[in-house]
Order: sequence, then structure tokens, then C-alpha cells
Amino acid sequence: MNDAMVEKNKKDFRTGSWFSGVIINGILILLALSVIIPLLLPWFFVFKTRLECSYNPWSLPTQIRWSNFAEAWTAIRIDQGLINTVIVCLGAIACTVPPAAMAGYIFARYRSKVTEVIFYLILAGYFVPIQMVLIPLYKLCSQLSLTDTLPGVILSLAAFGIPFWTIIYRSFFKSLPGELAEAARIDGAGHMVTFFRIMLPLAKPATVLAVLLVFIGAWSDYLLSLILLNSQDRFTMQLRIAQFLNAYGVDHMPRYAAAAIIAAAPTIILYILGHRWILRGTLAGALKG
Amino acid sequence: MDYDILLGKPAKDKSRKKQMREIIFFKTFFLLPAVLFLAVFMYYPIKETFQLSMMRASGLGESVFIGFENYVRLFTNEEFQSGLINVFRWAFWSVVIQIPLSFFIAFSLVAYRNKMTNGLRAVYYLASVLPSAIVAMLGRFMFAPNFGIIASISRKFNWVWLDKVDFLGDPRIAFWSVFFVATWAYIGFYIVYIMANIEQIPVDIREAAELDGANRWQYAIHIVLPIISYPLRIIAVLCVVGSLKLFDLPYLLTGGGPGHATKTLGIILYQQGFVNWQYGKAAAIGVVIFLLSLIFTVAQFSWQRKEGDIG
Repeated sequence: MNDAMVEKNKKDFRTGSWFSGVIINGILILLALSVIIPLLLPWFFVFKTRLECSYNPWSLPTQIRWSNFAEAWTAIRIDQGLINTVIVCLGAIACTVPPAAMAGYIFARYRSKVTEVIFYLILAGYFVPIQMVLIPLYKLCSQLSLTDTLPGVILSLAAFGIPFWTIIYRSFFKSLPGELAEAARIDGAGHMVTFFRIMLPLAKPATVLAVLLVFIGAWSDYLLSLILLNSQDRFTMQLRIAQFLNAYGVDHMPRYAAAAIIAAAPTIILYILGHRWILRGTLAGALKG
Repeated sequence: MDYDILLGKPAKDKSRKKQMREIIFFKTFFLLPAVLFLAVFMYYPIKETFQLSMMRASGLGESVFIGFENYVRLFTNEEFQSGLINVFRWAFWSVVIQIPLSFFIAFSLVAYRNKMTNGLRAVYYLASVLPSAIVAMLGRFMFAPNFGIIASISRKFNWVWLDKVDFLGDPRIAFWSVFFVATWAYIGFYIVYIMANIEQIPVDIREAAELDGANRWQYAIHIVLPIISYPLRIIAVLCVVGSLKLFDLPYLLTGGGPGHATKTLGIILYQQGFVNWQYGKAAAIGVVIFLLSLIFTVAQFSWQRKEGDIG
């Protein structure tokens, strides 16, 4: 189904009372508020002292103080975590997308009995929950001296991302017209050249999707970094936030609120900048997957 | 570059054998990275998991083969049993609560489309992209006793009964608090997914329904639901498999407590493996998680076969 048809499907209902419309829209707005309010509420507390907060939690702050932010910043130290998270994200993209694209291309265009067998082996990997192999993965990484290093996290993430993206690339390359590749081959282009110059550029939508969603996946990873990373300066953002969560309680509300704002800010900023892409990517993935 | 020049010749000049060799070289070269990654970081660990699950093994000392003893011990262990119950309870309620709720929101967003609804969709999805550490942080912010938002509001209005509720510390309530937070965080994806599928329905079908005098909700129940039943079942399987793997949110919100109230298989595995260093037991839990998710995934595939649209 092409975009124009979907666009046509979006035509409005003609019938129906305005009353039900008002009610439904009201419910939808309430639900949206329930998403936004927890993200906004911390601002109520961050400018107050601890005492002020426990006596008058819901009044406006008497003055704007930034000291809670400073305190939360030193407690959560998200800057180093953010750098590590970005490294993990970029590494995961670099180690997931090219192998998946290459393998998907072979499975779509160079089919044989052997490649089919390999494809089913990779497909099976899609159904393996990472929880299952946690212990051996940890042992393997320590044998390869990858524990407590970011490459350890990156390589493990990649191994568990490759199956899904191989499937997506395979179906994408299958949907491309075969004549293009054949024409290039007749013109004398080699297999490599055909892939890199012709087929890969045509697969750009799949690549954009893969880059985006692998980034999000690596960005939110918690379990793998939790078992593989030990030293503070290698902690990813999630680990830093979790560490704050366990070390500092809610009883110092202003500091906690400031930390919540700091913790959520990078994700929210990225989302505001990229939500169109993220939504479109998720939609495409949802309909293909 | 040598290779390009070699291939640059017109195909017919080459002997068949040479071409075949080239294709095989090309295939191997392109499959190698993916195959290596999976062999080293997935298939080797899987083999090890099965082996370990038959051993008495800890971080130190020698491993001893003990057959199925780990599994027997697991299934007679009270903690594991409650983990299993929690996971299936979680799966059941996610299917019963989260999917209908997402369908309601998704259909409303499509059927009552106006300038605002696209923005609303983006807002709902925001909760789904927030990493679980942040979601847990917000969850504690809301639910913490004495200082949390709910406690603070109930004190303000003198609702003593609400102030007394310990959302994350009461074993009868903790499960539901965590489940509530998870619903808040997870349904954004389901909404977007269901919306995408509803928008694929051809407009003719809806116009026919309207001509027959169906209102929006009759259309939703009698026409949309049957059409998107297949994607809905995929979400149901995602819910179930997700519950089996569940770790982040309960671990960060309650650590599995109080008691075993919010323990999931993932949490028990983590604690056995990385806190108690009981590698053998942890591996056995991993195998159980794998087998259970395999059963549900196979069920999904057999459904898919029946629908006849395997891609």
C-alpha cells in the first residue's frame, strides 16, 4: 500500500455526534497529560530547599535556587555516562547494520541451499532472549578480556541485533527490482560494486530505520551494561541513573527532582528533535516486522 | 581494488568455474561478519548455557555434572515458583489491560482525527522511548511513601487512607504499582503499532460500513477488530514473551521485593548468577525462559501459517 492510499484512508468520519467526539478527545487529552505531568512535576520541587519542600510541597518556590541542580549533577554525574552511552550507540550501529545489510543482501539475491540453512540459523537467533545466555556471555567476555569495556557491551548488543535487521534487509532487498542489479552486472560491474554502488543506496530507507532503532535500543540498554561494566568511569547513562536511584532516596525531594530532570533531559531533547523520524521508523518497522 | 578490475571484465569472457568461485568468495565474504558475530556471541553461549544448566558451577572451583538437579531444585524452590506465577500473572494482565487500552486509544486517534491527534500520538510514544531507568525514577517519584507525589497530594487533601498506602512496599500492592508504571511506559509502542495497522484498512470498507449505518464504535468492533486481529495477536505474543524476559522495571523499582512480590524470572536469574554466583542455577533459569518464549513464538508462527501471509 502506498502513501497516497494511506493518506486517502485518513479521511474523516462523516457521521457521529459531536458529543462523543468531545468525550473521546477529553479522554485522549487526559491520557496524554498523564504522560506529560510526571515529567513536569519535578519542576515544582527543584527550586525549594528540603525544609520548604516538606512543609509546602505544592506552593510556588520562594526563590529560584539552582543549588539542587548542582548537587544532583555531582551525585548522578551524567556527563561521563552520556559520553559512554553515545559511544555504545555508535558502536552498536557500526557493528550491527553493515553485517546485517551484507547478510540480508546475500539471503535475498544469492540464494542457495547453503545460504537458506544459514538464514534459518540466523533467524533462530532472533528468538533467543538475551537473558538466556547472560552467564556464558559474561564468562566469554571475561575470557576475551571484554568485561568492563564498552566494546564488550557493543559486540554483545550487535550479536543480538543482527538477526532482526538481517530479516528486515532480506525482505527489503527482495522487494527491490532484480533488473537493476542484473543491468549493472551486464555492464560489467562486479558483485561488490553492484552492492555498494547500486543496491545499498537503494536500501537507504531500511538503513535509516536500522540506524535509528539500533541507536534507540543501545540508548536504553540496561541489562547488558549492568552485568558487563563495573568501573564508574565506564558506566553508561542508564547505570548512572540506576546508581543514583539506589544510593539517594526520595526523602531529599528537591535533589531527587533535579536528578530526574537531568536524567530525562537527553532523551526528551533527542525525542523532540527526532520524533518525526522515530515515529515514522517505528511505523515502518511495525508494518514490516 | 584488484578485485574490482578482475570483475570488471564482461561476464562472458570468464570461465564458468571462475565465476562460480567468485560468487562463492563473495557470498562467504558477505556472510562472514554476521555469522561470526552470532557464532561467538550467541551460539557458543547458548551451548554453554545448556551445559552449565546441568552442572553445579560457581565462579570458583570445579564444575560438577549433576544432570537435571538444577531444574528439579528450581521447580521446588518457592522463590522460583512465585517468579513463575508473577510472570504469567503479568503476561495475563498485560494482554487483558494493555492491548484493549491501546486499541481504544489507537482507534480513537484514527476515528476522531483532528489537528491535535498527531501531536497526542507523539506524546504517548514519548513514554515508550524513555529508558527504563528514567521510568523507574519517575515511578518512585510518584509512589514513594511520605515524600512521593501521591503521598504528598493525599496529605494535602487529608486523604489518610491514601496516605497510608505503601505502593512499592506493600506485598499486595507492589505488583500492581509496577504493572501500572509498565503500562504507562509500554502502551505507546502498542498504540503506534495498532494505529499503523488501522490506517492500512482501505477507506472503501469504512464507507460501506457508514452506508450501512454503523457508527464509529460499531465499525471498530465489528470490522476493524477482525481485520487487525493478526497484528493484535502479534502484540499479545510480544506481551507474553516480554513478561518472560521482564527485568529492568521491577528490578529498578522494587528489586523484586517486598518478599517475592515483584520477582520475575529475569530478576531471579540475575540474582542467582551475579549476586550468589550460582552459575548452574542461573543457566537453568535461562533455559526455562528460552523454552517458554519458544513455545509462545511457535504458537505465533503457526497462527501466521494459518493466515497464509508468511513473508
